[in-house]
Amino acid sequence: MKDVNMEVMIGNYSIARGLVEAGLELAAAYPGTPSSEIIPGIIEFNKREHGHIHAEWSTNERCALEVAFGAASIGRKAACMMKQVGLNVAFPSFLGARRKKIKGGLVIICCDDPGPQSSQTEQDTRLIATLLNIPVLDPSSAKEAGDVAYYAMEYSYEHKVPVIVRSTHRVSHARENITLYQIGTRKVALNEGIGEAGVKGSRGQGVKGKRENGGHPNHSITQSLNHSSASSYPLSAKFGIVASGMSFSIAMDVIFELNLTQRIPIYKVIKVNPVDPDIYDFVDNAGRVLVLEETDSVLEAMIHRGNKVFGRRNGYVPGAGELTYDIIRGIIEQIVEEMGMEERTFFPDYSIEEALKEIRFPPRPPRLCAGCPHRASFFAMRYASPEAIFPGDIGCYTLGISMGAVDTCIDMGGGVNLASGFYNACNQDETFTPIIASIGDSTFFHAGLEPLYDATKTGKRFILVIMDNSTTAMTGMQPTPQTGMTADGVKTHSIKIEDMVRGFGIDFLKIIDPYSIPLMVETIREAHAYLVLDNHSAHKPAVIIARRECLLSAKGKHEALLDTINIEQDCIGCKSCIKLFDCPALIFNDEKRKVTVDEGLCTRCGMCLLVCAMKRPRKGQNK
Amino acid sequence: MKMEIVCAGVGGRGVLLASTILIETAIKAGFEAMASDEYGMSQRGGSVVSLVKIGDCKSPLIGRENADILLSFEESEFYRNLAFLKRGGMAIVNTRKGFLRDGIGNLLKERNIKCHFVNADDIASRKGSMQAANMAILGYFSYFKQGPYMLGAIEETIKEKTKGKFVEKNLEIFDAGYRYGEK
Repeated sequence: MKDVNMEVMIGNYSIARGLVEAGLELAAAYPGTPSSEIIPGIIEFNKREHGHIHAEWSTNERCALEVAFGAASIGRKAACMMKQVGLNVAFPSFLGARRKKIKGGLVIICCDDPGPQSSQTEQDTRLIATLLNIPVLDPSSAKEAGDVAYYAMEYSYEHKVPVIVRSTHRVSHARENITLYQIGTRKVALNEGIGEAGVKGSRGQGVKGKRENGGHPNHSITQSLNHSSASSYPLSAKFGIVASGMSFSIAMDVIFELNLTQRIPIYKVIKVNPVDPDIYDFVDNAGRVLVLEETDSVLEAMIHRGNKVFGRRNGYVPGAGELTYDIIRGIIEQIVEEMGMEERTFFPDYSIEEALKEIRFPPRPPRLCAGCPHRASFFAMRYASPEAIFPGDIGCYTLGISMGAVDTCIDMGGGVNLASGFYNACNQDETFTPIIASIGDSTFFHAGLEPLYDATKTGKRFILVIMDNSTTAMTGMQPTPQTGMTADGVKTHSIKIEDMVRGFGIDFLKIIDPYSIPLMVETIREAHAYLVLDNHSAHKPAVIIARRECLLSAKGKHEALLDTINIEQDCIGCKSCIKLFDCPALIFNDEKRKVTVDEGLCTRCGMCLLVCAMKRPRKGQNK
Repeated sequence: MKMEIVCAGVGGRGVLLASTILIETAIKAGFEAMASDEYGMSQRGGSVVSLVKIGDCKSPLIGRENADILLSFEESEFYRNLAFLKRGGMAIVNTRKGFLRDGIGNLLKERNIKCHFVNADDIASRKGSMQAANMAILGYFSYFKQGPYMLGAIEETIKEKTKGKFVEKNLEIFDAGYRYGEK
């Protein structure tokens, strides 16, 4: 029954498939949620097709973009992938590349994170692309993302310009049943405009990529490939919607739910730059227009029809954050009611929230995994020097914020530079406020080397803890330069963190297993003593490499460290383990007034016993 | 047909595998299906919500009070996601307790929501794999024969979608979940 040419996959795999089918020859990326699964997708599809695509994890996004640009400039079909803030890292080459003619094709896949869900900030790649006049496409579903990626590569190859595909986490991580084609045979035309759905109310036809036009866009990107012309919609439409990305798909579902399909046409935009001129006819012919897009007002600014438009500028659409189903439903209901078109039909039942007030359930803020070695490092840092300033960085270990051992977080590598800044700000008078910065291994290679070199060169005195779990855990276990493993699992040479650190001339360097909390505490104190020494050699950072394999890759490999912990008997309910250790497997039981262990999460690392006020080994040795 | 299902639980406990099985089963039965996953920043122990929509729809996202079914793989995630569930909807909750506090119980009654409790952790641990509590929930769910979710259809998908050495154990726990429904 199952169609052999279809497969359920996430949007990122759909993008990977689209690129592979379009004849991709080289792909380079730095992992970042929500873009991380595209390279693994390319590697998998390349294997299945017995192709010769070169795919690699780059050290950072600038490397990825320049490698791809290099290949494209001599005639290859190349692509690079990154998350939205990754484009900032690649910005110098991004600016340079747009002015150069390429011989091949260059597609930049940049995945935005409205919300943001797993980033430090929101950022709209469409806005940057539009400002710099780079073609940018905004797919509205996982299925369409594959078509758009294919189209983008063909378009770039044909017109010799870089093209950006902007996805969002809701597109990249949506799962759908997606059709697979033979390489080079996908027929794609972007189905933009108001489409059949808006006119006939026939759902399910508006978004699918049409199989026509030979897949070879010999049009200028300013021409619409699919003229579902706006004029085919009754000119009397009182109220229309212009939408792009996942907001379009949600708006379609919402107007169906509210039974407004026949009354509200939706104009869908995929090519955000340059936008199809049809959009202006649509806007001119409608009474009022709501613009739904994530996350900046790019289309809204382009439409620019004063008060005619409902959007961010007049407060109908929230100024930031993801446009969820509920938000879009609320906006449409409000506008329809204000315009006297329809009574409001959905009223949230807040008795649900009222009833929930009586229930206490544990909050689940982002936390390090149970058994994570970083947790032990952070505990030791805080324990050894509670008064220290803790500049932090980007990665899993940013979550050390809940343990009071991460004070700052700006961008990758930023923690090391901030430590330098804090040193001069706090310690010029030789009072020695301790500074303990942290950075992960992948981030250290990505953006920590130059800051550490800079700090050494300029004689800063702080402790840098490099948390080396030998993987890029937060984005899905991609190998780091130290692992000596390529993106497709082939062995290559390993670059050691300690060699780099020594190479800078740093002489305080210790490598410690963070599970040895007492040793870690002692080493931090030793490093501090070294830094306050009034000798010249101490005028540089002290580095501690906290090295222990990520628990996710060590899974099942190492022996349980502990036998049964008899908490029932020993716990006095002081909660110090919960407060100081913040392990998700430790739960305070209100009835028993004791801490209980969630056996489903506990990894038996035993670190919490070192934190226990009832002190330790005795407690763990109970059977 | 249109069916909206919210799968809610904690990272590392098989929520995404369960939702994968739900989508694939629906597709094999000839329906359109899509899903959207939200798993935040935590790798293990954070809230995980996977939205599954079957039938005629454009987006995989679910609005407040729109879901037909709420599958909670962990009790606190049931409360956290309760607002998704529509009047007359159905919930399955993995919990050690077999009751709700009065306020919540009355709310569910008033909203005509059928709430079923199952100690899936216990069912799975008894079979020697606590990590497979998700299978017990799917098994229990299949007892209610909602849409394409019949015992045999889900079993078939479990065979295809779980790794070789776990198939037998998963099916055993799935079956135990189903039999819990029969009791």
